[in-house]
Amino acid sequence: MPYKLSQMLDRELKKGSAELLILSLVEDQPRHGYDIGNLIEQRSKGRLRFNVASLYPLLYRLERRGWIQGRWVEKSGQRRRRYYRLTAEGKKVLAAQRHSWQEFVEAINRITGIEHA
Amino acid sequence: MPDWREEVQKRLSRLNLAPAHEAEIVEELAQHLDDVYQRSLRGGATEAEAKRAALQELATDDLLQKEMRRSQTTYKESPVAGGPTNSNFFADLLHDLRYAARLQRKNPGFTIVAVIALALGIGANTAIFSVVNTVLLRPLPYKDPERLVMVWEDASRHGYPRDTPAAANFVDWRDQSQVFEGMAAIADTSFNLTGSGDPERLEGRRVSANMFPLLGVDPQLGRVFTAAEDQPGAQRVVLLSYALWQRRFGGDPAIVGKSLTLNGESYVVVGVMPARFQFPSSDDQAWVPIALTQQEAGNRGRHYLQVLARLKPGVSLVQAQSEMSTIATRLQQQYPEQNAELGAVVQPLHEHLVGDIKPALLVLLGAVGLVLLIACANVANLLLARAAVRQKEIAVRVALGARRWRLIRQFLTESVLLSTLGGLVGLAIAYGGLVVLKTFIPENISQAREISIDLKVLGFTFLVSVLTGLIFGLAPAVQAVRFNQIETLKEGGRNAATGGGGKRLRSLLVTAEVAISLVLLIGAGLLINSFLRLRNVDPGFRADNLLTMKIVLPKPKYEEFERRTAFYTDLIGRVQSLAGVRSVAVTTNLPLYRQGNSISISIEGRPAPPPGQELIVVTRIVSPGYFDTMSIPLLRGRQLSTQDTETTPNVVVISETMARRFWPGEDAVGKRIAAGRVRTPEDWIQVVGVVKDVRQFELNAEPKPQMYLSYRQAGFFEPRDLVVKTDVDPASMAATVRKAVWEIDKDQPVSNIQTMEEILADSIARQRFSMLLLAIFAVVALVLAAVGIYGVMSYSVAQRTREIGIRMALGAQTGAVLKLAVGYGMKLVIAGIVIGLIAAFTLTRVMSTLLFGVTATDPTTFTLISLLLIAVAALASYIPARRATRVNAIIALRYE
Repeated sequence: MPYKLSQMLDRELKKGSAELLILSLVEDQPRHGYDIGNLIEQRSKGRLRFNVASLYPLLYRLERRGWIQGRWVEKSGQRRRRYYRLTAEGKKVLAAQRHSWQEFVEAINRITGIEHA
Repeated sequence: MPDWREEVQKRLSRLNLAPAHEAEIVEELAQHLDDVYQRSLRGGATEAEAKRAALQELATDDLLQKEMRRSQTTYKESPVAGGPTNSNFFADLLHDLRYAARLQRKNPGFTIVAVIALALGIGANTAIFSVVNTVLLRPLPYKDPERLVMVWEDASRHGYPRDTPAAANFVDWRDQSQVFEGMAAIADTSFNLTGSGDPERLEGRRVSANMFPLLGVDPQLGRVFTAAEDQPGAQRVVLLSYALWQRRFGGDPAIVGKSLTLNGESYVVVGVMPARFQFPSSDDQAWVPIALTQQEAGNRGRHYLQVLARLKPGVSLVQAQSEMSTIATRLQQQYPEQNAELGAVVQPLHEHLVGDIKPALLVLLGAVGLVLLIACANVANLLLARAAVRQKEIAVRVALGARRWRLIRQFLTESVLLSTLGGLVGLAIAYGGLVVLKTFIPENISQAREISIDLKVLGFTFLVSVLTGLIFGLAPAVQAVRFNQIETLKEGGRNAATGGGGKRLRSLLVTAEVAISLVLLIGAGLLINSFLRLRNVDPGFRADNLLTMKIVLPKPKYEEFERRTAFYTDLIGRVQSLAGVRSVAVTTNLPLYRQGNSISISIEGRPAPPPGQELIVVTRIVSPGYFDTMSIPLLRGRQLSTQDTETTPNVVVISETMARRFWPGEDAVGKRIAAGRVRTPEDWIQVVGVVKDVRQFELNAEPKPQMYLSYRQAGFFEPRDLVVKTDVDPASMAATVRKAVWEIDKDQPVSNIQTMEEILADSIARQRFSMLLLAIFAVVALVLAAVGIYGVMSYSVAQRTREIGIRMALGAQTGAVLKLAVGYGMKLVIAGIVIGLIAAFTLTRVMSTLLFGVTATDPTTFTLISLLLIAVAALASYIPARRATRVNAIIALRYE
């Protein structure tokens, strides 16, 4: 993918779906920032990447909205890390966002005519 | 490994985040960068490449700034860094509070020390204020109490500026005055209550029927007296106190209308007064109408009434006084013999009830105020030291754009939070203190039992707490923001609080503490000195092994002199024969009971003194064994003897003061006097002996002329106190002696069973109370001041460890270094002492009425207390200095 396009897609995705990505990742278990960033990169096979400068402001914003909650956790033999978990409020938001994202994707698909075989 | 924290911090610095929050972000982001760095290294990158990759994460995508700012500005976690745009008073206050609370939790040691110091100060203030509140400030429980007054005779000529009026004067005042709504007379009396149960002696009053309406108090049950009942010969009626009603009659709701036997006569109960009604004193248990007889109402010679009056609305005290003076002058002209130089004084009732205790309470209130000031100075010092530690934090905030006023407010919030905590703990201390205090309060302070922490006291405590916080917080706050930022930010730079300004301020505080505690200590020293002198006053008798009890013979039954005399003689004989009794006597009044009779005498061969210059003599009618029983030494002549009887010539024993005053340079023995005027030659009484003076009324009053007459010869006053000298513990004899009384008359009440030592102690209870409290406060002040000096010296020595190290390394002697360090502390202390001495010199004058035997500027007390304080201060500065000299020079040099 050309650099320019990748960067553009990156931004668009961040605007539209970054929140959804993060909420999904902490749905099952609390995760720290590095873990979240890593998972996004791995699962998107490197296509999606958040650097520190964009990931953390997002986390803080979600936290401030009350959708996720960060907490310092100390595990033996490790540095303490800030783990983020999904709040009850966040769960509702995640469900709603999933739903509208699904609708959005279906709508796009219908228009662009990409059909599954 | 690169310092990721620094990298992150650099990029966050323009965001003005709250330091605590910033630290969290820095930690979190730095960890992430480190993870990226480690991953790159594991992936085979060189350190430089890995570092570049990590820093790429922070690529100055403006998103970082924008998002961070967005997510933070509304956060307002930062209490001090916020610019002018987002200041909202209450929101800021809340944040300041939260920040302050966190700070206190982080420094529990500091917080505990500060809170304890403040709690002591505030607690003492709360306790004393609640006493002042109840005793001085709370209005009396009567209707429009500010219009109630007492009216006294002004007999300053005889040393009684407020004397109890004679009945005839009361009647004239009442009939002639226009300024009062009403005037009521009150006379002491007591009743022997007999009938069901043990015979019992009750303190009571004869009162005018209108006394209750004048006070505006209604009875709890029944009614008060009618005007018709307040006439001689009317049916005998009585009002009971709530306590008597409960105790003796089990709160019988049908008591009204029932009869009881007082002094052998039947009285009908017309009502019961409410529990809180205690007038004129808390001892009163029953009231009867005064019903002055024609003869009583015409008597100007016996002064025994208390007169209560209510000012008409709109009439001032001055107007009332002026009218009463006019009436008194008229009566002087009308009755030149009896009323010569006799005035009338109007005194507000409240002043009459609390007048005695007021100076002591105000001195105590002043004292606790000073204790609080010292506590403030101490905490201010602690805060200053902490402010020095926090210089960097403040510098960062100022650099981030925090305004100074905002910082001062943050500091003040912290100090007020501290003082409020101190106030809360102080309330608990005050509550506990009051429980203890109440047991020390002399019983004759009538409102003592009602002392409590009410809303007014709570308000006072709150106000004092907040004010305290503002006072001790302001200095460190202003100090903390007045420094050179650049200097502070430089590593190792000497910051402001350790240099000039801060040191000056702390020195000033120590000087102030020393000055204030000196004032307090001198005040306490003067009181202790007074009290010791008071205790060492020779009362003129020996109080040890003396048992006393009151035996008042009721009137109709013992109307005749012979019957009374027979009773006493019988009683003395019976008690004398008891095992453990050395001797026994009866007397009209025991010493130090604050009451007793005086009469005017004539001296044979001298003209009657002009009116107003009568020879007044304190008169006691006693049984012959009195002087032996009380161990009153005989100076000349002989004692009263059992041979002096109704049939032998009348004799009297006089005191040395009486002998000296009336027969200066002569031998008084053999001279003849008479009580009042001489009508027949039998009225003359011969002086047969002179005894040492006895302090009859108060230890701190110079003895007046006194004389003693035999109970078998003089009948004008009746003995009512029995005093027994025992070989064993006097209290253990009480029941046996009482049984002896009941063997003679089973209906005869016995009351006020006390040892003479108890009476002696009671007579100085008030002085002991003031002295104890002031001494406690002074010791608290001394401890606080010592802690303050110690703290400042420790700090100052710690600051100079390097200097001291160099000096020691260069060969300075320990002594020289000690002198240097202690010298600095002592300079402050001496300055404080000089200021304190000047202040004490002016301030202790307010206590002059509380002192006995010492002047308010007693040089011995001033000198001793100053030396004591210097010694304590020297010790407090010596300990840290000594520690400094033990420092190893190498360590000292490495100190910074």
